[in-house]
Amino acid sequence: MDRRTVLKGLAGASGLALTGGLSAPAIAQGASARTLRFVPQANLANFDPIWGTQYVVRNAAALVWDTLYGVDSSLVPQRQMVESEEVTDDGMTWTFKLRSGLKFHDGEPVLSKDVVASLNRWAARDPMGLMLKAIQQELTAVDDRTFKWVLKQPFPKMLYALAKNNSPCAFIMPERIAQTDPFKQISDYVGSGPMKFLTGEWVPGAKAVFEKFADYAPRQEKASWLAGGKQILVDRVEWVIMPDPATAAAALQNGEIDWWENPIADLVPVLKKNKNINVDIGDPLGNIGSFRMNFLYPPFNDVRARRAVLMAMSQEDYMRALVGDDDSLWKPLPGFFTPGTPLYTEMGGDILKGKRDLDAAKKLLAESGYSGQPVTCLVAQDQPITKAMGDVTADLLKKLGMNVDFVATDWGTVGSRRAQKTPPGQGGWNMFHTWHAGADCINPAPYTAIRANGDKAWFGWPTSAGTEKEVTSWFEAKNFDEEKAAIGRLNKAAMDDVVYAPTGFFLSYTAWRKNVSGVTKGPLPFFWGVSKTA
Amino acid sequence: MLSYILRRIVATLPVMAIVALFVFGLLYIAPGDPAVVIAGDQASPEDVERIRQSLGLDRPFLIQFGSWVWRLMHGDLGTSIFTNLPVSTMIGQRLGPTLSLMMVTLLLTIVVAVPLGVVAAWKAGSFIDRAIMGFAVFGFSLPVFVVGYFLAYVFALQLEWLPVQGYTPLNRGFWPWLQNLILPAIALGCVYIALVARITRAAMLEVLQQDYIRTAKAKGLGQGGILFIHALKNAAVPIVTVIGIGIALLIGGAVVTESVFAIPGLGRLTIDAILRRDYPVIQGIVLLFSFVYVLVNLMIDVTYTLVDPRIRY
Repeated sequence: MDRRTVLKGLAGASGLALTGGLSAPAIAQGASARTLRFVPQANLANFDPIWGTQYVVRNAAALVWDTLYGVDSSLVPQRQMVESEEVTDDGMTWTFKLRSGLKFHDGEPVLSKDVVASLNRWAARDPMGLMLKAIQQELTAVDDRTFKWVLKQPFPKMLYALAKNNSPCAFIMPERIAQTDPFKQISDYVGSGPMKFLTGEWVPGAKAVFEKFADYAPRQEKASWLAGGKQILVDRVEWVIMPDPATAAAALQNGEIDWWENPIADLVPVLKKNKNINVDIGDPLGNIGSFRMNFLYPPFNDVRARRAVLMAMSQEDYMRALVGDDDSLWKPLPGFFTPGTPLYTEMGGDILKGKRDLDAAKKLLAESGYSGQPVTCLVAQDQPITKAMGDVTADLLKKLGMNVDFVATDWGTVGSRRAQKTPPGQGGWNMFHTWHAGADCINPAPYTAIRANGDKAWFGWPTSAGTEKEVTSWFEAKNFDEEKAAIGRLNKAAMDDVVYAPTGFFLSYTAWRKNVSGVTKGPLPFFWGVSKTA
Repeated sequence: MLSYILRRIVATLPVMAIVALFVFGLLYIAPGDPAVVIAGDQASPEDVERIRQSLGLDRPFLIQFGSWVWRLMHGDLGTSIFTNLPVSTMIGQRLGPTLSLMMVTLLLTIVVAVPLGVVAAWKAGSFIDRAIMGFAVFGFSLPVFVVGYFLAYVFALQLEWLPVQGYTPLNRGFWPWLQNLILPAIALGCVYIALVARITRAAMLEVLQQDYIRTAKAKGLGQGGILFIHALKNAAVPIVTVIGIGIALLIGGAVVTESVFAIPGLGRLTIDAILRRDYPVIQGIVLLFSFVYVLVNLMIDVTYTLVDPRIRY
């Protein structure tokens, strides 16, 4: 072997890799006006909206899979795939009829058997689905377009359950796909939604492509969130994953992308100055910041310690740490439900209002028996929201005289450690930070974080009989007034027992180029009605 | 020579086995749980446990490791926990961009750094030498992401000459391919150029003191011939060595560069996989990187024989 042979071999191998020899994703192709290039909030790492419940998966799934009902911007369920429904007087038998002409992307018609299989898979994973399953007598296909759900007791929130935008949504898949174990991931992405998922162009972590489904039959009504006519006005939607916000900002300014779902607050002033870019609030339902205290171990197994923290905390401090000085991006939240939604209440929220009383909080903490033991506070540093809130909390606890064991870690570790019920010194914890999408906090149905049924509750395992009683009251409420009253009592009970500590309500922006029109505000990016000029 | 190369390749197998065991063990004891990430915030502990069982993450360490090794021996790197795609497919999707970035950076480095080092050695002690070495210090000191943002601001946003982000494969045209790589390669290459320029200068300074250089000058050879034919060839061994070692720097630097310029390469895949605890992908990438590193070392050794005929294996 001589040097020429070696060099030729190296050149040949390199050429093979860079040209046809390896798969070659095209990320920065010149896009026409028929292609919308979108930067989502996160990487689309998997594409099974029942198996993986991340919002980014839900958002992509809404393009590919349709739902029987969809909530509109007034949070009212509207018919989507369903043409009509009937419910018996006792409220226990629901009969649904599908619209005619519905087709899957593989050309097969959407039949009742597909719906039944899809609802069965969904009901195994969704909190409302599980409630339905618990009272289900049978769910059957009557004929190709009719299916029946027979219950053992009335479930007044049936249409909301089928229409809700909280993950997992009740997406309808072909029977062969929907028969997959709900705890295993699907690998066939055929739906009946307005766009097809191009599996061959999917590069997880880099790109996902959706193509207009020519045979989609949109409803005639005007589109409103997940309801109405989902008219797709572009041929392709390309999701370009950009982990670095500065790069996304530069790409938007340079016209390399058309729409950026979640620009970070720090970069918004730059985008606002650009005459080619529109910036507006993206999701009016926003987010609720929170930290949860572990009810199983001292000091937060004593309600006085939890209340002491609430008495001392300043939501303004938290919100300014999160969104800076833009006052339009946050609101104080002396409650647990999303501001601006019908059930919002501040009942029982006085402890979070007014001037903070550090001395009284210290006194209450002392009464709880706190004697300087370490408080293990988990803070994910790779999530700007939790990092900012964690820093404020550490300062707050120190001011209260608490001995803070500040565990700076990443979100993956928090996700695993928060599930540990062992004592804080043995792998457990006292406190962790997170946030909830406002869309999940509009009522108790999708609101796992508000539940306080001890061992079965979300991390922190809060116990509050009063809270649980009012959750049941809401589910059983027969009209809006009863719902509203139940939520008021629920808010007070949850605040009294400090199920968790709300740190405030915050909004975020979305940004798009001015040659794109039809972008609407909502809990997820809606691509129907969005068009683009060259 | 061929038998030497074969022996070296066979010798990589125990190295790879140790790396595999080490990586698998580290991931096993590392905190974090992919089932929790998959299940999402609304999931119950029972849901998380069922997902963990379906992924086989609840099995004992040795069984998981044995099963992984068995599949590996059959050429199967496994399936990503998150994407449900084969790890080999995911690596294949990402190899082109990373290889392109590394090759352009390597080429840029050799074209820029070696002549700079030669000139600095030739003009040792002069203003030119100081300027080049000053640039080298600058290159060492600036983090890749700072250079990246600066380049993107100037050449993409202000001058609008080049794109900010992305990657276009070579089969879609040479210029589209290159224009996406220019800024990332410069950003990634700064440290590398600085390193190679300094080593080239040092090696050249030593060679330029040798008697045969004095003889060449006495025989009336031109400056270019002395520097680039006689001196550089004899200074090549340490330069080749540092270029080879620098490939490890490139692998590390590619992680940051690919994030800054949104290039869908292996670096970003690594970060994504680590953050999500996608164990099969992490294991596949680490194995690949360790193999590349071993291979690069082998190539360096082979290259010695090309630049210095006295070296034989």
